[in-house]
Amino acid sequence: MISKDDIEHLKDLARVEFGEKETEKLAKDLGDILGYMEQLKGVDVSNVLEMTHALEGAKNIFRKDSAESQRRGTAEPEAQSQLARELINAFPKKQDAGHGTYLKVKSIL
Amino acid sequence: MTIPEFHEKLKNRKISAREAVVSYLDKIKKKNGELNAYLEVFEKDALERAKELDERIASGEEPEELWGVPLAIKDNILIRGKIASAASKILGNYVAPYDAFVVEKLKKAGAIFLGRTNMDEFAMGSSTENSAYGPTKNPRDLEKVPGGSSGGSAAAVAGGLTMAALGSDTGGSIRQPAAFCKVVGLKPTYGAVSRSGLIAMASSFDQIGPIAQTVEDAEILFNAIRGKDELDSTSWTSDIQVDVRRPLVKKIGIPKEYFGEGLDTQIKNGIDEVIKKLSKSYEIREINLPHTKYALSCYYVIVPAEVSSNMARYDGVRYGVRIEGGDLIDTYKKSRGDGIGLEVRRRILLGTYVLSAGYYDAYYSKAQKVRFLVKKDFADAFRGVDAILCPTVPTSPFKFGEKSDPLSMYLSDIYTIPANLAGVPALTLSSGVQIIAPHFREDILFSLGKEIEKSH
Repeated sequence: MISKDDIEHLKDLARVEFGEKETEKLAKDLGDILGYMEQLKGVDVSNVLEMTHALEGAKNIFRKDSAESQRRGTAEPEAQSQLARELINAFPKKQDAGHGTYLKVKSIL
Repeated sequence: MTIPEFHEKLKNRKISAREAVVSYLDKIKKKNGELNAYLEVFEKDALERAKELDERIASGEEPEELWGVPLAIKDNILIRGKIASAASKILGNYVAPYDAFVVEKLKKAGAIFLGRTNMDEFAMGSSTENSAYGPTKNPRDLEKVPGGSSGGSAAAVAGGLTMAALGSDTGGSIRQPAAFCKVVGLKPTYGAVSRSGLIAMASSFDQIGPIAQTVEDAEILFNAIRGKDELDSTSWTSDIQVDVRRPLVKKIGIPKEYFGEGLDTQIKNGIDEVIKKLSKSYEIREINLPHTKYALSCYYVIVPAEVSSNMARYDGVRYGVRIEGGDLIDTYKKSRGDGIGLEVRRRILLGTYVLSAGYYDAYYSKAQKVRFLVKKDFADAFRGVDAILCPTVPTSPFKFGEKSDPLSMYLSDIYTIPANLAGVPALTLSSGVQIIAPHFREDILFSLGKEIEKSH
């Protein structure tokens, strides 16, 4: 059903790394689970549309494209910069340079 | 002590907020080592908050309903300045920079947070065994799992380690542990409660809801947290008008698909007894929810698909734990490989698979169509009955390590998943009875739930 190579490919697509033993286990697990899902083939879905929302008559809602949120009190400049400081504090690696603090990552190219 | 009992005492100065908090903190100190219901206790904050409320009461202010009510919060709901790890290693150091909508509402209402509770990692699991911080034990039987994924919250309520708690329910994660720990749990209508500040698992299913000692407590908490939030575009304030002149519930439907093979005899007998009592004052009707047997398959296609997408954000770049690799891709892989546990990886890979080119139509598209049929089953049923009554779980709580293959674990949510697929609200009572109502008709759940609770 699902081979070890399939799992290796999925691992690569999902950007997650783990060992041989677990790769084998997940190949078996995914095979079992997908086998169980075979029963979906038996359902007659002719003339049925894909469900896109749990509620009837729900429609898309747009909000103002803005960093401000009155509700969270971040409309105030001080609150905004406080939030920015907290987000920067959460960076796993950072470096001060020039006018501010930068998020540090490995080179991309 | 229930919320109204406590409120009466607080109002009449028979108890202070501090006394209540201290009594729970004592209980936590005595029992949490064994239960592992809390991952962290906010002792200092809770005592400060209690002091502030007591001072306001002493100065003559009339306490509101939730003033001083001690609550436990599942570790995937953000409380500003506190760690919210979703019981995962990758978020082990993540400090919430804002309050979840529900947390903001509860703070304003005067509730006190005792701590954050254990869960299956990222809410994926049915036993709390998938927590990166060790499993929670069931206070009713320490050999058994408390259920999951909101196992910490359910165990905290059942063990007397909090007055009530919040959990989240994607496929049964409030109701299944409520049934296993013999407490009350509500999964609200999809959209009734804002998901802003809830760490996402499967966004078209997730709902925050209360876990409590009584139906009334669950109702009070639900009313405190529900409502439209501009930061969750799927949240909604219902404008359903209830005709108060007519009784809420006259006809109760019993879906025969929920009483078939695999249902434990003792559980079945318990439900039959409840039905027998109810038949004296309600019309009981056997109904059909014909697509129930496909619900689990449908769920385990759509949920992992949403999971694989939602989990992509945990890459060790902007927050969380980073394990540095040779290049950026390697850093992603190492951070995710080290920080994310087995069940979450399993679902990420499964979701990646079902969304792959060539498989999309066979799995994801097909499952979304079947989801529509499951939802239609409920809509059809509710044309004939006001509420549906069925079991929450097929078996009693199992032992640690008993369900090692994923499918048998998934099967423990077989009676809770359909309500999530359809987005309808469902209430689990401490007896394990589950009541399901039409969208935004939580009032029906509370009304019937109180009736059953009274006669039990």
